[in-house]
Amino acid sequence: MNAETNAEFRPPLDQTRWLGTDPIPAKAYYDPDHYELERKAIFMRTWLQIGHVCELPEAGSFIRRELEFAEASLLIVRGKDGIIRAFHNVCTHRATQLVSETEGRTNAFICPYHMWNFGLDGQLRSAPDFENFFTTKEDCALKQVPVDTCGGLIFINLDRGCTQPLREFLGEHIVDRLEQAPVAKATGFSEYVYDLDANWKMDYDNFQENYHLKFIHPRSGAPSYTTDNPFGYPEQFTFHGPHRTQVFWSGINMDIATPTQALLFAAGVRYAMEKGLMPNPTNREYYALFPNFFLLGSPTQHFSHTVYPLSARKSRGVVRLYWVGEAQSASELLAREYGFLVARDIHSEDVDVIRAGQRGLNSGALEHIHFQAMEGLCRHLNKVSNEIVEAYREATAAKGEPA
Amino acid sequence: MSASLSLPAGFERLEHFVGQWLADTTAERAQRRTDSTPEERQAFFAAAAPMLEQAMAYLDARPLAELNDEEKRLLKLMFSLAHVQMAVEIHREMEPRHAMLREAMIITHSVTDII
Repeated sequence: MNAETNAEFRPPLDQTRWLGTDPIPAKAYYDPDHYELERKAIFMRTWLQIGHVCELPEAGSFIRRELEFAEASLLIVRGKDGIIRAFHNVCTHRATQLVSETEGRTNAFICPYHMWNFGLDGQLRSAPDFENFFTTKEDCALKQVPVDTCGGLIFINLDRGCTQPLREFLGEHIVDRLEQAPVAKATGFSEYVYDLDANWKMDYDNFQENYHLKFIHPRSGAPSYTTDNPFGYPEQFTFHGPHRTQVFWSGINMDIATPTQALLFAAGVRYAMEKGLMPNPTNREYYALFPNFFLLGSPTQHFSHTVYPLSARKSRGVVRLYWVGEAQSASELLAREYGFLVARDIHSEDVDVIRAGQRGLNSGALEHIHFQAMEGLCRHLNKVSNEIVEAYREATAAKGEPA
Repeated sequence: MSASLSLPAGFERLEHFVGQWLADTTAERAQRRTDSTPEERQAFFAAAAPMLEQAMAYLDARPLAELNDEEKRLLKLMFSLAHVQMAVEIHREMEPRHAMLREAMIITHSVTDII
């Protein structure tokens, strides 16, 4: 990119000033008691992204999702009426897990223990010798979990009493963008998964600041930084309730691509154009949805990244590259292979340094860590999480319950 | 060259790479990259990269669903070239360390495994 375009690049330092400048207490990133509060106050009561409608193409399609932080196994299923419902994967007789397959298609969920038979709507349809029980079939329906979709993405909420609709939680701007993003039309995805010895926020924070790019991705990330923007900082930050976005710099320098690399990337751009996915308001935007979900708006490398907590010091990342429609040509398939492997290559580079940060935290050597102005998205996640944890602590204290 | 290693006419010079580099899934192709030596990657890249444009033009001239076995092999070989490109042109001497880091990222689904 030429110097003229970038001469005016100024990091948006002012846009994070409202978040304050205080050092950040380190305990929130390793302390088991703090994690337990986050688990209860956030993960057990917040809309969480868990899948995509393309995984449930027809009536009877289901997926099973394990949520280790809740010790929960969920079944998400498309009913005969086309409606997506989520249930605990737990027989209402004696709690046996119903389904061991990770995905499939069925007409009923049948418990392997005593053959209780549940419909796709969760109702108990039949159970052997049921007249000997002291309950009714109506009372034995599968335990339902709130579920909703936005932009094709499936969200669940483990709080059965949750009253805030998904769209209200996401807010107008995020809903608008998710519905326009390619993911809303996606028909398939490629996926990689990693387990990491790091607190979920340590893991997540790495992916919402660009300060590390030139040090950790000196080669794979080289197009992102130039003399005009030596750290490859974003142009803009925006904040939407608990959610946040960054807008990538427009001066990314693809001129340094080798001929082979340029050929491989060009195929991806060509098919995004042909499918009408570009231009799109999401092209250069990166969405960080509270608490643990990212979506990169770019249609050529349209990835989501969900970070699940496993314990105070362990997390799991699930990265998906979403694609719209069946590939129509060999080049389009090649673009998908390349887009996927490049994303995996780049994400791989972060793993070691996140683990090293966690080991440093676990030592207890630091009382505080520091976020600079351009790490404002990390500061925002910390602030939002702490506010929710504090409100939860106060509410439980007011009720006289232990937090 | 046995039938199972043959490529379409015009691409014969890549046939001796088929044994090492042809794999059916993205996960297997990633593993082939990891298991290879720098010399093997360099030799494959040097031979295949100059033929990438020609190979894709040849394959794109045919409906994807109707590719025959030779054509599918050529496409899968180009998939492997895409993996090797990152090693040879981007990571270069850092590739062995990078291979260790990539092990953490387990491939669970790939839309390109259909060919």
